Amino acid sequence: MTTANLICGLVTLATLFYVFYLPGQLHLGPEKTRLAYLRERKEVVYENLRDLNFEYKAGKFPDADYQSLKSSLEEEAAAVLAEISHLEQAATAAAAVRSGTKKGARV
Amino acid sequence: MAQIGSFALILALALSGYSFLFGLLALFLPGAISARLGETARRAGIATFALVLLAAVVLVTAAFQDDFSIAYIFHHSNRDLPIPYKFAVLWSGQEGSLLFWSMLLATYGLVLRLRHKTDERLFAYASVIIAAVQVFFLLLLNFAARPFGLMQGSLPPDGSGLNPLLQYPEMVIHPPMLYLGYVGFTVPFAFALGALIMRYPGEKWIHITRRWTMVTWGFLTCGVFLGAHWAYSVLGWGGYWGWDPVENASLMPWLTGTAFLHSVMMQEKRGMLKVWNMWLIFATFMLSIFGTFLTRSGVVSSVHAFAQSSIGDWFVAFLALIFATCVFFYVKNRSHLRSEHKLEALVSRESSFLFNNLLLLVACFTVLWGTLFPVLSEWVQGTKVTVGPPFFNRVNVPVALLLLLLTAVGPLLAWRKTSVESLKRNFQWPTAGALGVGILLMVTPASWGGPFGMRPWRDVSALYALMTIMLSVLVALTVASEFVRGGRVISRHTGQGLLASMVHLCHRNTRRYGGYIVHFGVIVIMIGFAGAAFNQDKEQEMGYGDKMNIGAYTLLCKSYTQDDKPNYGSEWAVMEVYKDGKQIDTLYPERRFYKASQQTATMVANRSTAKEDLYVVYEGLNQDTGRPIIKVHLNPLVMWIWVGVWMMIAGTVIALIPNAVPVRVTAPARVQTVPAGAGD
Repeated sequence: MTTANLICGLVTLATLFYVFYLPGQLHLGPEKTRLAYLRERKEVVYENLRDLNFEYKAGKFPDADYQSLKSSLEEEAAAVLAEISHLEQAATAAAAVRSGTKKGARV
Repeated sequence: MAQIGSFALILALALSGYSFLFGLLALFLPGAISARLGETARRAGIATFALVLLAAVVLVTAAFQDDFSIAYIFHHSNRDLPIPYKFAVLWSGQEGSLLFWSMLLATYGLVLRLRHKTDERLFAYASVIIAAVQVFFLLLLNFAARPFGLMQGSLPPDGSGLNPLLQYPEMVIHPPMLYLGYVGFTVPFAFALGALIMRYPGEKWIHITRRWTMVTWGFLTCGVFLGAHWAYSVLGWGGYWGWDPVENASLMPWLTGTAFLHSVMMQEKRGMLKVWNMWLIFATFMLSIFGTFLTRSGVVSSVHAFAQSSIGDWFVAFLALIFATCVFFYVKNRSHLRSEHKLEALVSRESSFLFNNLLLLVACFTVLWGTLFPVLSEWVQGTKVTVGPPFFNRVNVPVALLLLLLTAVGPLLAWRKTSVESLKRNFQWPTAGALGVGILLMVTPASWGGPFGMRPWRDVSALYALMTIMLSVLVALTVASEFVRGGRVISRHTGQGLLASMVHLCHRNTRRYGGYIVHFGVIVIMIGFAGAAFNQDKEQEMGYGDKMNIGAYTLLCKSYTQDDKPNYGSEWAVMEVYKDGKQIDTLYPERRFYKASQQTATMVANRSTAKEDLYVVYEGLNQDTGRPIIKVHLNPLVMWIWVGVWMMIAGTVIALIPNAVPVRVTAPARVQTVPAGAGD
């Protein structure tokens, strides 16, 4: 057996061991939900508001422009917050129903 | 040696194939089986990196050991090749550069797969897509462009040597930079396609790929301008950009990548342009593959194309497959890309981004059309018609001017809509400054040399140069006003000096202010380009004591001689440079003859200052008189281009730094109810 063959054999064994030796349990992360997306969106809208506020303080926009832009961003934030609240309530209610069903089953 | 390299590539192909197929299967299987299978696919992707790296190390080692039994080493190296160029052997030919491409892709894949915890499902999709691209390049390396093919017959005593045009220090770093740029766009492409396939909710994939895209764009910027600098320093024609097909190939993904970096902000901030952004990154990736195809296939002739082969068909098939995949998933999931907002006003930050994107795409399409015109004309008419720089300049110069205008205007516009009063408030002083500079350049005497004493009514190139400089001043003033205004706000709240406050400002929003520094770099480059309107050149046979006058300079030929080194022989002249009667420099223009490859190369002598470059070329000996022919170019403002590139790199690096904790700036009393208005 030549040195090259030996190296190729060792490389193959090491590779196969690394790829297929998986001790312990493995779990794939959860699917992203609409709620997680809305929380990201809320952060973005807040950041937009912070940027607008900073630019206003820097004197880039007249007062009227600032008020108009601010109120449209606030409306957007309110819509996102309302949907988050709705989904959180629904999730809490669903959890309560699940927990009630389990207790009932035990009784 | 060759056996280990070949084996590593075969095993890498098997593993990347596994990573693709079983990674794909894992995405559709349920629960624990899926997790285990997905993990083996991820690990197979990581192992692919180790194997491709092993193959690259074997090839470079063979170059250092002068192992001419490997055909690639024989064709691209020789015993006397200096050590740094032995590394360059890896990317100097077809097979090696494809191995290098594959290695970089595997490296990007490694980083991505090691960071999979960020969002396991999205990363799993991206990993599968990267594995698919990897499979293509490994198929090429194993079946179409084998780097470890052996020489037939008796072993040659020495190699053919590296192409002389590549024996230049920048050539050691130019291709890696360019390839890091080309290959890097695979990552945002993979995330974008993955997000589309899995109907990923929200824009987090953009947030995840933001740094990847900026790093990749930064590398491509370096690669493009290193190529320009190499062409300027080595080819000896006095220019840095000739609209050569391979130059164009690197410019096209840069243009679409630049468009993506801008328009993606609209998606992040406003949930708009989702389809547009998706297709921009698809196009950027496809143009990167197309660039590699142009460089490597020999389908168009170019001074930069160092290989000609039949792998073109593979690339065409691969490009068709990518396009079909993108179209299929776009049609299937296009409802997922519905915009959350509409364009509210023509004068707004959104519309400035949109126009910026349209202009960048017009420039890209022009470059693509001009580059492919020889191929298309041959198909249609049977004769190859080449379009030259006038075609590209006629479209792209006005486009570049409009882009400069948008660079000035965009940052000062508000999201959603901007009022006339706001426009007046933000633009009156910058506009006055730009007009003032324009008038100054026109009223100064022409004897001061370009760009002073411009007469734009006499010459269209002078008009363009004047507009470029005026618009650059406009950009500089608007960007400076952003720094000063922001700095003042921070200064008021922290008590710091204005300069310290501006540094603080950069720290609190590195992406935005780093981006502004990139814009500063762009205008410095544009001013450098404008200098080309005032280029001069002169050619003369020069014996001992002969003089040549150009601009404010006088060149005196002191001597000319020949030299012999192990790798090359050379002829060179000693030229003294005088200005206002005083000697200011001595230049040594040279022409080399590389022994192994039997080819010549020019070593330009360049005296570069902020005002102008005195660029001296040794063109060769007149066979009748035995005296050297010297060509001199006087190129104003070229140094500005290279300085501008450094500024762009600095801006990109700043944009990559994470934001510092923002300064709390209390909002005015009447806006205290804003949910996040009490922030900065």
